[in-house]
Amino acid sequence: MSLIVKRVIPQLIVSIILIVMIVFYFFYVNKSVAGVFSAWDKALSDWAIIIMAFALMVGGADIFRYHLIQIRKAGMKQAPFSIVTILLELVMIAFALIGFYISYINPESGISITTQPQFAWLYTNVYAPSDTAVYSILLFYIASASYRAFTAKNPTAALLLAVAVIVMLGNTSLGGLIWPGMLSLRDWIMTVPNTAAFRPITMGAGFGAITLGLRLLIWREVSWLGRRE
Amino acid sequence: MVSWELFGAWIGAFLIIWIYSFAFKDNVLYKLAEHIFVGTAAGYSVALALDSLNRVAIKSLLAQPAASWHYLIPVILGVLMFLKYSRRYYWVARYGIALNVAIGTALAVRTIPMANIVRQLQAAIVPLWGSDPLKVFNNWLTFLITMGGLTYFLFTIFPKKPETGKVSATYTVYKVLYLIGVYGMMIGFGALFANTIMTRVGFVISVYLIYLQPYMEATVIAVILATIAILIEIRRRSRSKCMTLRRMS
Amino acid sequence: MNMDTLALVDKVFGSKILLYILLIAALIYPFASPLGIPVSISSRTMQVYNYVKSLKPGCYVYMEIYYEVAARGELEPNVVALVKQLFDKDCKIVFVSLIGTGPIVFSLLRSTAADLFNTKKYGVDYVYLGYVSGQEAAAASLAKSIKGTVSVDNYGNRIETLPLLREVDKATDFSLAIIASSGTDTFNWYVRQWYTPYNVSLLFVALSVIAPSVEPFVGAKQAIGMLVGQRSAAEYELLVGRKGLGLASMDSQSLTHALILVFIAAGNVVYWGKRLRTKKK
Repeated sequence: MSLIVKRVIPQLIVSIILIVMIVFYFFYVNKSVAGVFSAWDKALSDWAIIIMAFALMVGGADIFRYHLIQIRKAGMKQAPFSIVTILLELVMIAFALIGFYISYINPESGISITTQPQFAWLYTNVYAPSDTAVYSILLFYIASASYRAFTAKNPTAALLLAVAVIVMLGNTSLGGLIWPGMLSLRDWIMTVPNTAAFRPITMGAGFGAITLGLRLLIWREVSWLGRRE
Repeated sequence: MVSWELFGAWIGAFLIIWIYSFAFKDNVLYKLAEHIFVGTAAGYSVALALDSLNRVAIKSLLAQPAASWHYLIPVILGVLMFLKYSRRYYWVARYGIALNVAIGTALAVRTIPMANIVRQLQAAIVPLWGSDPLKVFNNWLTFLITMGGLTYFLFTIFPKKPETGKVSATYTVYKVLYLIGVYGMMIGFGALFANTIMTRVGFVISVYLIYLQPYMEATVIAVILATIAILIEIRRRSRSKCMTLRRMS
Repeated sequence: MNMDTLALVDKVFGSKILLYILLIAALIYPFASPLGIPVSISSRTMQVYNYVKSLKPGCYVYMEIYYEVAARGELEPNVVALVKQLFDKDCKIVFVSLIGTGPIVFSLLRSTAADLFNTKKYGVDYVYLGYVSGQEAAAASLAKSIKGTVSVDNYGNRIETLPLLREVDKATDFSLAIIASSGTDTFNWYVRQWYTPYNVSLLFVALSVIAPSVEPFVGAKQAIGMLVGQRSAAEYELLVGRKGLGLASMDSQSLTHALILVFIAAGNVVYWGKRLRTKKK
């Protein structure tokens, strides 16, 4: 009984929803059935949006829990940093809840969760700059790798490097200075060989997704269930 | 009196420089900036989840409860997802996850055959002869590289090279297509590398123009503080290295 | 080159500190003293410009703002140039974000292009629906019905009170859907949920790093074209006559790329020099 409730029913839900959503998408029975399917299809899409929102909240709770454990176990080296993380997370959520409250109490104010002034200030001045810095720091590593790792060791590496150099020159105004046709060559590389090279990858990703769907349908894919009983 | 806007801009500049200092050496100011980022990011994602929930479910339930009653089901399932932390009732969270996995997979799977496979195949089937030599050349290249790439990804069905005797025609064709696929993908990865550099340079330029250049004093002070933190870290590490060597000897 | 020279070159070019300082100098110098290297316009950018130019004046356009603040440098200049061209044609735009950072990014977009948005009326000429969570499910839901997916816009206004959203509701009501995204998945979602079922014309605005993997969709005519990174932004700014971050960045891009090419060349010289010397021995 417990295994049925813990594993069988969730997997059954997945299979039934997959079959219903796929079969009625491709097969037309009659107008009323199509109408009912369309309404439930839309409703299920909305359900996914709602559950995804809760999944994000669970993610936030996970970070909170992790840093709480760090404060208890990791000692003075890590504890101050974890306190900073937890404090900021709670502060952001608090301001968001204030915005949520104001949006119902005083809708004409135009304040909502994301437009709450202190929340927006924290995002614009704390999150946004650090987010940008984290993404852009990779340039330093790419630049240092360009000396160490990007050597023409064999024919395939030489081809990769040659194409990279042409596209790099075409991407900037330098290419036009060296040779007027560099931009057209870059466009040709992107349009013809590059597109052809990534086409099998796109198709492979498609086949992979279909395979995943089939595996979910026949209960071979169980990683989403988490821990084993 | 310093305005909140100016104070915020200085904080932004400090955080950016301290995060960049990691490229030179890990230091305490980088750790502080990193943890600040993680905290605000986590808070922001929770806030946005609440915002989405508000827009899709809460407002509809309050405005039209009769038509929106079914939203209570995913809300309840979503709340039950928090039970994943329970040792006894962790399995209850699976119901919400099951719904999400099923709907997401169904939405993708029913349109992938047309979008990712059929249309890509259609684009790969090009005329291999004609009056325009450049177009014919491009079409041959497209066809060969696509076939070569597909051959490269065939891991299960491929002819084996015979240990003795003549190499079969099938194996030769397979090997040629395989090599074309490899070289074709090198072209793709070369373009990818070049574009990666462009993207990262673009990010750094926007960081400089938006956050650092308008607030040069903040940038300079942040650089000085980061340099001090890095030097302290270098000194601390060389000291602990010396102490370890002394203990070993 | 003898081994000592190679070792010296290796030591100099292999120094992380020198590289980082040169990199920072290459990035900053053109802003202090612009190089003024001319930017030519590629046929692909021209194709996108001509397509948008051929849209009927006053048509409805859907724009997905799916990028973080970090990606503003590459995507925002393209979006601003497109918005200028569309507003010049009196096209009406419905903005949406399927990413959490969308609302703030949109507010930054509005402040960057304040001169464009101030000439238009919110609710009549453009609307921002805010963040809709659910990713592909949200894209599918919006394609079926915007009113059925969201009940209020980003600023708390009820959908029924916005005149623009009385005129459009589903994917087929739009002449063009522009997807400005920093991720690959977004393009897949819209190809699957907007183009495949409803044949809506898609225009992609992508980061340079994403572009190669999204090219197959453009090649298969599932999108009418693509604008890629700061290069396309610089070209589009020249075409629409509004200079911005795209054009301003090109000199810095050129100098930085030149530096990286020098380091790649040096790395290959050292590698092959050492390898050939070792072989001789």
